[in-house]
Amino acid sequence: MKKFMLIVLAGMLAVSLLVGQAHAQIRIGLMAPLTGSWASEGQAMRQIVDLLAEEVNNAGGVLGQQIQIIAEDDAGDPRTAALAAQRLSTRGIVAVIGTYGSSITEASQNIFDENRIVQVATGSTAIRLSEKGLRYFFRTSPRDDEQGLVAANTLKDMGFGRVAILHDNTTYARGLADEARALLVEGDVEIVFFDALTPGERDYSAILSQLRARNPEVVLFTGYFPEAGLLLRQRHAMGWDVPFVGGDATNNPDLVSIAGREAAEGFMFLSPPVPQDLDSPEASAFMAAYRARFNDDPASVWAVLAGDAFNVIVAAIEGSGSTEPDKIAEFLRTGLEDFQGLTGTIAFDDKGDRIGELYRVYKVDGEGRFILQP
Amino acid sequence: MQLFLEQLTNGLAVGGIYALIALGYTMVYGVLKLINFAHGDLFTIGAFFGLTLLLSLGLTSHIGPVAGIIVLVLMVMGLVALIGALLERVAYRPLRTSPRLSAVVSALGASIFFQNAIMLIYGARFRVYPHDLLPTTTVSFLGVSIPVMRIVLFGASLVMMAGLYYFVQRTKTGTAIRAAAIDQGAAKLMGIDVNRVIMYVFLIGPALGGAAGVMVGMYYGQINFTMGWVYGLKAFTAAILGGIGNIPGAMLGGLLLGVIEAMGATYISLAWKDAISFMVLILILIFRPTGLLGERVADKV
Repeated sequence: MKKFMLIVLAGMLAVSLLVGQAHAQIRIGLMAPLTGSWASEGQAMRQIVDLLAEEVNNAGGVLGQQIQIIAEDDAGDPRTAALAAQRLSTRGIVAVIGTYGSSITEASQNIFDENRIVQVATGSTAIRLSEKGLRYFFRTSPRDDEQGLVAANTLKDMGFGRVAILHDNTTYARGLADEARALLVEGDVEIVFFDALTPGERDYSAILSQLRARNPEVVLFTGYFPEAGLLLRQRHAMGWDVPFVGGDATNNPDLVSIAGREAAEGFMFLSPPVPQDLDSPEASAFMAAYRARFNDDPASVWAVLAGDAFNVIVAAIEGSGSTEPDKIAEFLRTGLEDFQGLTGTIAFDDKGDRIGELYRVYKVDGEGRFILQP
Repeated sequence: MQLFLEQLTNGLAVGGIYALIALGYTMVYGVLKLINFAHGDLFTIGAFFGLTLLLSLGLTSHIGPVAGIIVLVLMVMGLVALIGALLERVAYRPLRTSPRLSAVVSALGASIFFQNAIMLIYGARFRVYPHDLLPTTTVSFLGVSIPVMRIVLFGASLVMMAGLYYFVQRTKTGTAIRAAAIDQGAAKLMGIDVNRVIMYVFLIGPALGGAAGVMVGMYYGQINFTMGWVYGLKAFTAAILGGIGNIPGAMLGGLLLGVIEAMGATYISLAWKDAISFMVLILILIFRPTGLLGERVADKV
């Protein structure tokens, strides 16, 4: 009986190997925070990439081959990301999508570069990521200097003279805060407060008390949505009504559920447009497919940018007719013409940064909706 | 002065929660000499159970908000206590006679298991308690406006701590717990069922942790599966600060840590808040290696 089982197992193994041979596959990696405190972003990234890969495969694949997505969890943690990148590098992938969070992406950059794997980051906006001269690095997200500029201009246009800046010491939030501070100081705006909170805590009333003592006209918070939601909620409980402006990492509907509608009303943030506000045919088709499958809207624009990363990789493989990393990278730099992604036209400059202005100003209304400001 | 008072109340409110969780660490350590790394996750489980019960039973609408919340907290305490006892049975009792390091690894494993189990069951997104659950009135005191719920929260943690203190000092079971903490062998010879004592400890500690979880959930609103990590770490620090193994020490350490954090953030540096708390911890350990109220030298883990 044991022998029989062995033969059956061996037979199944042989068949599966043969099948694998018959359908050669192109493997694309996905590195995302599937667990950890950004898991909601990571899970959405995987949903979207899987959905798009399925569509491509149903339409016959690319270069006649099926696409297989190999997902690895980076847990939103640089050390785990380095391990995930090592593991992905051994799995024969031609390109990798991800990840969310600049410090996490940074930990993986060199590993992918040494292994000649094209990396398209999705939610990593720190400036220095693309200033290292890495040939295979691209990103579908904008850079902090663009966001910093929009933030500084927005605050100046609204006529605020005393600004408090709060970040959370992550690569991203610190970068954006520094950028905005430099530009605001140049524009004769007084910075009355500049410091960092500790992300992951629940009680920020000590920080809010301190902020209130400095009497700012507006608070610019450059960190992420869980802390932004708590800050808004606790500011409301204190009965303090200073306006809050957030960076693009606060663009997540959970912000409103954490803060409560009343406390979130009037909160403004900068962000690439949310998927619901995009009116291109690509975006509407994607939204329809996503809603049909998951019965919900994508959690945030960052997960949609992972979809865009997938789309440009597929376009580059198809356009260059090759799975050679050098050819793919070359095509991404020079070959993308009028490529319609889910978040608008996509093209990359020499450094691998996305070209074009993406940022908009959003405001939360009384119903908790994100309203695009003209 | 107003800022000082405001930060003092902020610090005490946070410290009360730290103290409740720290009690779980310190009780387990006292009896088993084991750092129960899964304790922070029991706190998280309390927060999630509270949300589930709140949404599914609708207690607050049936029997009124005050009674509803009290019943809710008691139910959560009971459920989390059961999970704590189960944890002890499955993860720690089989390792009772093995080297201490095995039990620590088992505790870390249990923590990872709980965290991911919560993520799989409840999802990775933030969950939110209903916003209209608690009143948002504030009272003015010496020119500082304090939300009433902060005071209630602080009072509730004080009541629970006082109850525990009474239980451990005045009841027969409490005496047995203290005896087992001093010398398990001798306690056994005196006819104390040490396994039962350990089970009590794993019922009480997690119950308090679970209560802290549901209180944090109700007051701050936002819960997610990783929330236990930060609170667990802070509470563990508080337990050491007060002298691990010592019950009043955990209460004092928790309150002190909360106040140190708030004051450090205000008067020294916000970004260095945690560094300041740990610096104070190191200073205290240099001059009092057993913590503020600790008597016996803490063993290394």
